[in-house]
Amino acid sequence: MRPMSTGTYTQLLDLACGAFLLAAVVVLWRRELVAIVRTFALQGIALAAIPLLIGLHEQRWGLIAVATGIGALRAGLLPYLMRRALAALTPSGGEEHHYEEDVSEARETQPLVNVAASLLTAAALTLLAYAVARPLVALNPGPAARALPVGLAVVLIGLFVLATRRRALAQVVGFLLLDNGITATAFLAASGVPLIVELGVSFDVLLAVLVLQILTTRMRTAFGTTDIDDLRELHD
Amino acid sequence: MSGTGLTAVAAQIVVVISGAPLLAGWMRQVRARMEGRAGAGVLQPWRDTRKLLRKEPITPIGTGPAFRTAPALLVATTAVVAALVPLLSTTTPVSAHADLILVVALLALGTVALALAGLDSGTAFGGMGASREMTVAALVEPTILVAVFAFSIPAGSTNLAAIVAGAVREPSRLASPAGLLATAALAVAVLAETGRIPVDNPATHLELTMVHEAMVLEYSGPDLALVELGAQMRLTVLLGLLASLFAPWGIATDASWPALAVALAAFVVKVAVLGAVLAAAEVFWAKVRLFRVPELLAGSFLLALLAVTSSYFLSGE
Amino acid sequence: MPTSPSSLGTTASALILAVPIAVPLATGATYAAIRRYAPTDWLSLVSPAAILASGVVLAHAMPGGGAVNAYGGVLRADAVTVWMLLVVGAVAAVACAAGPAYLAHERATGHATQGTARAYHLLVHAFLGAMCAAVLAGNLGVLWVAIEATTIVTAFLVGHRRTRASVEAAWKYVVICSAGIALAFLGIVLLYYAARAAGIPEATALDWPTLVAHADRLDPAVTRLGIALLILGFGAKAGLVPLHAWLPDAHSQAPAPVSALMSGVLLAVSFAAVLRGKVIADAALGPGYAQTLLSLAALLTLALAAALLLGQRDYKRMLAYSSMEHMSLIALGAAIGTPLARAAVLLHIAGHGLAKTVAFCSSGHILHLRRTTRIGRVRGLLARAPGLGAAFGLAVVALLGFPPFSLFASELGIVRAGFTAGLGWLTALALLLVLTAFAALALRTTRMLLGPLPLAPGTPAVPVRLGPAAGLPLAVGLLACAALGVSAGPLTDLLTAATTILGGH
Repeated sequence: MRPMSTGTYTQLLDLACGAFLLAAVVVLWRRELVAIVRTFALQGIALAAIPLLIGLHEQRWGLIAVATGIGALRAGLLPYLMRRALAALTPSGGEEHHYEEDVSEARETQPLVNVAASLLTAAALTLLAYAVARPLVALNPGPAARALPVGLAVVLIGLFVLATRRRALAQVVGFLLLDNGITATAFLAASGVPLIVELGVSFDVLLAVLVLQILTTRMRTAFGTTDIDDLRELHD
Repeated sequence: MSGTGLTAVAAQIVVVISGAPLLAGWMRQVRARMEGRAGAGVLQPWRDTRKLLRKEPITPIGTGPAFRTAPALLVATTAVVAALVPLLSTTTPVSAHADLILVVALLALGTVALALAGLDSGTAFGGMGASREMTVAALVEPTILVAVFAFSIPAGSTNLAAIVAGAVREPSRLASPAGLLATAALAVAVLAETGRIPVDNPATHLELTMVHEAMVLEYSGPDLALVELGAQMRLTVLLGLLASLFAPWGIATDASWPALAVALAAFVVKVAVLGAVLAAAEVFWAKVRLFRVPELLAGSFLLALLAVTSSYFLSGE
Repeated sequence: MPTSPSSLGTTASALILAVPIAVPLATGATYAAIRRYAPTDWLSLVSPAAILASGVVLAHAMPGGGAVNAYGGVLRADAVTVWMLLVVGAVAAVACAAGPAYLAHERATGHATQGTARAYHLLVHAFLGAMCAAVLAGNLGVLWVAIEATTIVTAFLVGHRRTRASVEAAWKYVVICSAGIALAFLGIVLLYYAARAAGIPEATALDWPTLVAHADRLDPAVTRLGIALLILGFGAKAGLVPLHAWLPDAHSQAPAPVSALMSGVLLAVSFAAVLRGKVIADAALGPGYAQTLLSLAALLTLALAAALLLGQRDYKRMLAYSSMEHMSLIALGAAIGTPLARAAVLLHIAGHGLAKTVAFCSSGHILHLRRTTRIGRVRGLLARAPGLGAAFGLAVVALLGFPPFSLFASELGIVRAGFTAGLGWLTALALLLVLTAFAALALRTTRMLLGPLPLAPGTPAVPVRLGPAAGLPLAVGLLACAALGVSAGPLTDLLTAATTILGGH
C-alpha cells in the first residue's frame, strides 16, 4: 500500500475532525435521547477515522488496529449499551397503555440551560478551546496538531452537557463526549497513548458505562424517574 | 470582455426576474405531485402576477410612504443583488463591487422595508409579522455573514466573485470541514431568510404561525404582485448563491460566449434541482414552533462560527 | 535519578511487586468462586497481610533512594511507593478486621444475604488490588487506569443499600469522579505530548522517573496545562475543591469499613498521584506553579470543610468533611514543599489514614447501635457503650491533632514549615480555618459522647459491650497511630528516603 498524499491526508483528517466536532454540537442540539445516542455513534465513527487516517498516512499497522478497536467500542458497543438502557427505561406502549406515563424519560425536556443558549455557549467554548490550544499547536505544527483544538472543544462541550443536562442518560453521553474528546486529543497530539494504557482506558470507560447503566435502572426503581434534579436526598 | 460582461449582468437580472415565478411554480408543482395532486402547472405564478397587475392598487387609509415604496424597494434591492452576485459569471463589470457585506446589507434593506410596511399598515397582524420577521432576521443576517466569511478566508477576500472563482480553481476547498459546515449553516439561513418551512410556511394564513404573510396581508393588486415577485426573486437569488458557493461548477470564469451559455444552462439546472430538493423536503418536514426558531437559527449560527474557526485554524494560516 | 541496585533479582522483584495486586484479586476471586461452603470473613485479612509483607520486603530490599522495576516499568516501587503500600496495608488491616463484625450485624438484621456478603468481599478486595496497582504504577497511564478502576469497583459499595440516598450518592460519585479523573487523563495526554515532542521514545514517555529526569526539556506551556489538569483531576478523587461534591455523600452512604478505606487511603492514593505530578511540575516549571495551584485548592477546600462542619448534624458526613479538612492540610504541606513539609505530609497521610479508619469503623458500630446517623440522637455514648465511645472519642481526638497521636507531629511540621518557608499568611489563614473545624468537630463529638444515658422506661441500664472482634481492630489502629506519633521507629529511614524522592532529587 502506498502512503496517502499529504494533501489528501490533511483534507480527510480535517473532514473527520469537522464531523467529530459537528456531532458534539448536534448532541447539544437534539432533545430526543434516541437521536443523541445515534449522533454519539456517528461521532464514534469520526473518532475512529482519525487514528485510521494517521495510521494510513504514516503506514503504522498498529494504529489501524487500534482504530478498528476504537470504532467497535465507541460506535458499536457503547451506543448499543445506551440504546438498551434507554429501551429499559421507556416501556414500549404495546399491550397496556398507561396514559399517565409520560414519555419524558426519552427526552431531555428541560435542560438547565435552554438549547439556544447552549448552542451559543458551545460557540464560546469552541473559541476558548482554540485559545487554550495555541501553545499545543505551536509545539509541533502539522495537520494533526492543528486540529487539536477540536479535541479540546469536544472535551469542553462534554463537560457542559454533563453539567447542564438533567436526564441520567444524557449525562452519560456527556461523560462519553468528554472521553471521546480526550481520545481524539491523544491521537491528534501524539498518535495515541501506548497500547497498554489505551486498552486500560477503554476497558475502564466500558465498565464505567456499565456501572452507570445499572445505576440508572436503580435510580428509576428508587425515584421513579431518571431526572437528576430529583436527587435531593443528600445535602447539608 | 465588456460585451460579454454586460451581457452576463443583464442575463443574471433577466433570468432571476423571469425565472423566479417559474421556480416558485416548479416547486409547487413538485410538491403537488409528491402529495398526489395534479398541480396548477409551472406557469401558474406568472398567471397570478398577470392577474394581479391588471387590478386596481388599493392602499389602506392612514398608510404612509413606507407602505407604498416597500414593494418597489424589495424588488429593486433584490434585482441589484441579482446583478452583483456571481450567478453566471465571475468576471462582470460589477463583480468588483460584489462584496459580501454589501450583498447582505442589500438583502437586509429589503427585509427592513417590508417590516416597516407591515408596521405602517397599523393592523395587528402587520405588526406581529414585522416583529417576528425582525427576530428571525436578527439571527439570520449574522449567520449569512459569518458563513460566507468562512468561505472568504481561503480566498483571502470578501468579494463573492473572488470566492467563487477560487472555489472553481480549487474544488478541494469545498470538501473541507469549513466548507461543509458553512454550507449547512447557509442552507438553514436561506430557508429562514426566504420564509420556507421549517421556519415559516409560505402557504399558510393561520395567524398563530405566519410570519412573512402577516406583513403583506394588506397589499393588493400590482403591489401584491411586486411583493410576491420580490419574495420569489429572493429565493432564486439565495438558492443561486448557495449553488454558486457550494457547487460552482459551470460558472463562467472567463469572458467567452460559450462559457456564458454553459453557465446559464448550469444555473437553471442547479437552481431547479435545489428547488426540487427543497420542495420535496418540505413535504416531509413540519414547521417548527416559533419558540424553537431561535434554537434552529442559533444552531446554524454556531455551525457558521465553527466553519470560520475551523477554516481559520485548520488551514494553518 | 540515583538508582542504586536493589538486592532483589529480576524474578524476585517481579514477584514481590505483583503480590500486593494479585493477592487481593485472588482473595476476592476465592470469595466469588466458592459458593457452597462460603469462606470465613476472616479470610479477608490475607490481603492486608500480603500488602504489608510486600511493603516490608521492599523496604528492606532497597535502602536509600533505590527503586525496583518490573514488567518493563509498568510496575515500579520506590520509597514513596513503599510508604504508601504500608499505609494501605495498615489501614486495610484495620478495615478488613472490622469487616466480619459489620457483616455479622448485617446478617443478623437481615440486610445481608450470602450473595451480598460475597459481592462485598469481592468488591472490597478488588478495591484493595486497584489501590495497590495505583500505588505501584510506574507509568502515569497505568496509574490513571488503576485510580479509575477504584471508582468503578467502589460504585456498588457506595450504592449497596439501593435506597434513594445511596443510589444518589453512587451516581454522584461515579459521574463526578469519572469526569474529574477524565480531566486528569487529558493532563496525562498533554504531558505525553510534551514528552514525545521533547524526543522521549514512546515506550517510556509516560514513565514517571523518565519524565522527572527529562523535565527540563518539556515544553513549559504544554506542561503547565497538563499539570493543572492533573492536579484538578486527581484532586477531584482526593476530595479537593472544585470537584469535591461526591465525597460527603459517598463516604456517608458506603458501609463503614469501605468508608474507612475510601477516606483513609483512597484519598491519599490519589493525592500521591498529585505529589508525583508536582515533582514533574517543579522540575519543569519551577516550584511556584504547582505551589500556587495546590495552596489555592487547599485553602478553598479547608474553608468549605470548616464552614460545612459548623452546621453538621450527621456524624458520618462530619467525618467526611474532616477528611476534606485533612486532605487540604496535606495539600498545603505539599504546596509548601520544603523537606520538613514533605515528611510531615507523608506522616500525615499515615496518621490520618489510621485515625480516620478507626473513626469510620466505630461510626459503623454507632449506626448499628443507634440506627441513626443524626448527631442529636446519639447522646451519652460513653455511658451506653463505654468501649465504643472511647474508641470513637480517641479517634476524633487523634483527628483533632492532639498528642500523642501522629497527627499532632505532622500538623506541627506542616505549620512550622509554612512559617519558615515564607508562606506565613497562607499558613496563618489555614490555621484559623483549622481552628474553626477543630471547634466544630470537638463540639459535635462531645455532644455525642457525653451526657447521661437517656433512660426510657423499660430499657436496662446495662452498658453495651463491644466484643473483641469489633473492639480489637479499633484498639490496634489507635495504638499504631499513637506509636507513629511518638516515634517513626524503623520507618525513619523510609520516611527520609521518600521525602527525598518527593523533592525530585
